Amino acid sequence: MGWVTRRQLTSLFGALSLVLALAGLALGLPALNSALPADRPVASDRPYAVGGGVTVVPPPGSRIDVTETRPAEHSGTVLFRLGPVRYLITVRRFEGDLNAAADRLRQRITGTAGYQVTGTELAVATGSGLAGLQGGYTAPGRGGRYLVFVAAGRTIEVTVSGADLDLGRTLPAIDASTRTLRYDPVGPA
Amino acid sequence: MTAEPRLRSERTAPVQPGADPGLGLVRLPAFWIVLALVGVGAVRMAMIAGRFAGPYPVATVTAAALFALLAVPFWFVVRELDFLEREPPALLALAFAWGGLVATTVSIPASAALDDLVAKLGSPHLAADWGGALAGPTVEEIAKTLGVVAIVLVARAQVNSVLDGVVYGAMVGLGFQIIEDIVYALSAVALAGRGDHVEPVITTFLLRGFVSGLWSHTLFGALAGAGIGYLVVRADRTWRIRLGVAMLAVLGAWASHVLWNSPLFRDGLGNGALALLAVLIFKGLPPLLLILVLVRAAHDREADYYAAQLATLADPELITEAELEVLKSGSRRATARWHARNQAGLRARAAVRRLQRAQARLAVELSRGTTDLDRWQHEVRRQRRVLAGLGHPEAIAPDGKGPWRRTASAVFTTALAIAVLWAAISTLGGG
Repeated sequence: MGWVTRRQLTSLFGALSLVLALAGLALGLPALNSALPADRPVASDRPYAVGGGVTVVPPPGSRIDVTETRPAEHSGTVLFRLGPVRYLITVRRFEGDLNAAADRLRQRITGTAGYQVTGTELAVATGSGLAGLQGGYTAPGRGGRYLVFVAAGRTIEVTVSGADLDLGRTLPAIDASTRTLRYDPVGPA
Repeated sequence: MTAEPRLRSERTAPVQPGADPGLGLVRLPAFWIVLALVGVGAVRMAMIAGRFAGPYPVATVTAAALFALLAVPFWFVVRELDFLEREPPALLALAFAWGGLVATTVSIPASAALDDLVAKLGSPHLAADWGGALAGPTVEEIAKTLGVVAIVLVARAQVNSVLDGVVYGAMVGLGFQIIEDIVYALSAVALAGRGDHVEPVITTFLLRGFVSGLWSHTLFGALAGAGIGYLVVRADRTWRIRLGVAMLAVLGAWASHVLWNSPLFRDGLGNGALALLAVLIFKGLPPLLLILVLVRAAHDREADYYAAQLATLADPELITEAELEVLKSGSRRATARWHARNQAGLRARAAVRRLQRAQARLAVELSRGTTDLDRWQHEVRRQRRVLAGLGHPEAIAPDGKGPWRRTASAVFTTALAIAVLWAAISTLGGG
């Protein structure tokens, strides 16, 4: 040890403490986060407030993923999970028409490597009268459906994704849930 | 005249001069470990940039260019904070790199995880309202403060005053701010879903660069850095006090960041440009004023220390009594340069600036106990001869001249800043 000075040892231990602190942040917090469950039960017999004045009745048997659910006054996101199927609703401020909103959503979907939009878009409507467009997309190992609605300066984007078999099993319940989407103004945007 | 130095010296920690680290730091394990961390951060951030550069090449180049330009004035202002004992550019670059590459790399997964934990342990509503205000500041302020600690580990001798801590902390914060802004700008492009367009980049630049640029990470980093500076240099205090002050400073940076990110007054003052300006000032001004007062006090303490070093020379060719007083104050230094220009032209102004720098460098070498001062004294005498040749031998700031100009300059700068803020807010739709 004669050739290692005390200053060098202090420097080494100091730097290793630094690495440990960084690892605690970059690895420790995500590990702690992963150790805690993210899903919560959600009632499917009454509307759930997504945010921005939009509500939806969740599909029976779905659970809410709190890590991707952020309800706010003028916008919001909610992620329902039906087993391995993701049912995501996002409300954002938007200045434009339905076609522009659909175009934007399509671009974001195809912007992810391996994602392709399939088929043609269909006109859809919710029980409360919101008009929208619906289409499908594929990704490696999974398929999906997207819907988009525009209501008073907001866009409501719905994406459903999962393996084909799981989708086939859950889509009727998700379709029924989507038809319950409703927008009630919450004041100035 | 006698009371002033005593009052100033009471305000903050003393200066502890240290030797120039030179190449000796390459023998320290901390140097290589910190360098490795910066390398890992660089690879990680390059991967993130690569993901955006593929689909959005024009937006990526625009964002990088705009925010790099924004960094330039910030860099010079931060560097000039410590006029008397300038920090080595390599260490400033290391601090910047830590903020931009290491702190960001760590903060991206850690902030997301903490935000999720707020939602899991609290509720999605709590996370939506306060997640950004709690998670970001908690992780980011720690990661940035570790950057100042890294500088201390690499070059302890270079952190010899509270002001040095402020400078390195601000530089870490600046690096973080610039890289984070670029990532935000490119995320906005991806979110817009309109392909490779630069409008979201411009909007992000106005919002995060101009509207919130002044009271962002650079400021928070400076506050935390002051605490680390105090911890390092205040050897005359107990560890408990030094640690307490350092933690208080980091807590102050965290609290300022939380206030800035918080939903408080988000809609409370209305939607107009004036309301938004009021919110910005309410949330950003307190930490800005706090750090200004702190910098002023630390600068005064350092100036007193180095002026005392120069006074021991008792050689008017190196520094006169009047120049000693000038050297202690940033505004008086500026007034002396302005006075030189009025008296003897632009060359005299430049010569005064070089003289002041040479005098400051001589003071630093004196404080380090350098035995052979010929090189530094020669440079001061050389600049003195230049000034004498221009008919302006002494770099003085005449009494009564200059303050009105500084006041006018401050008023003009403030008005310009408000005008730029107003224009940015109006462009973003606040008006």
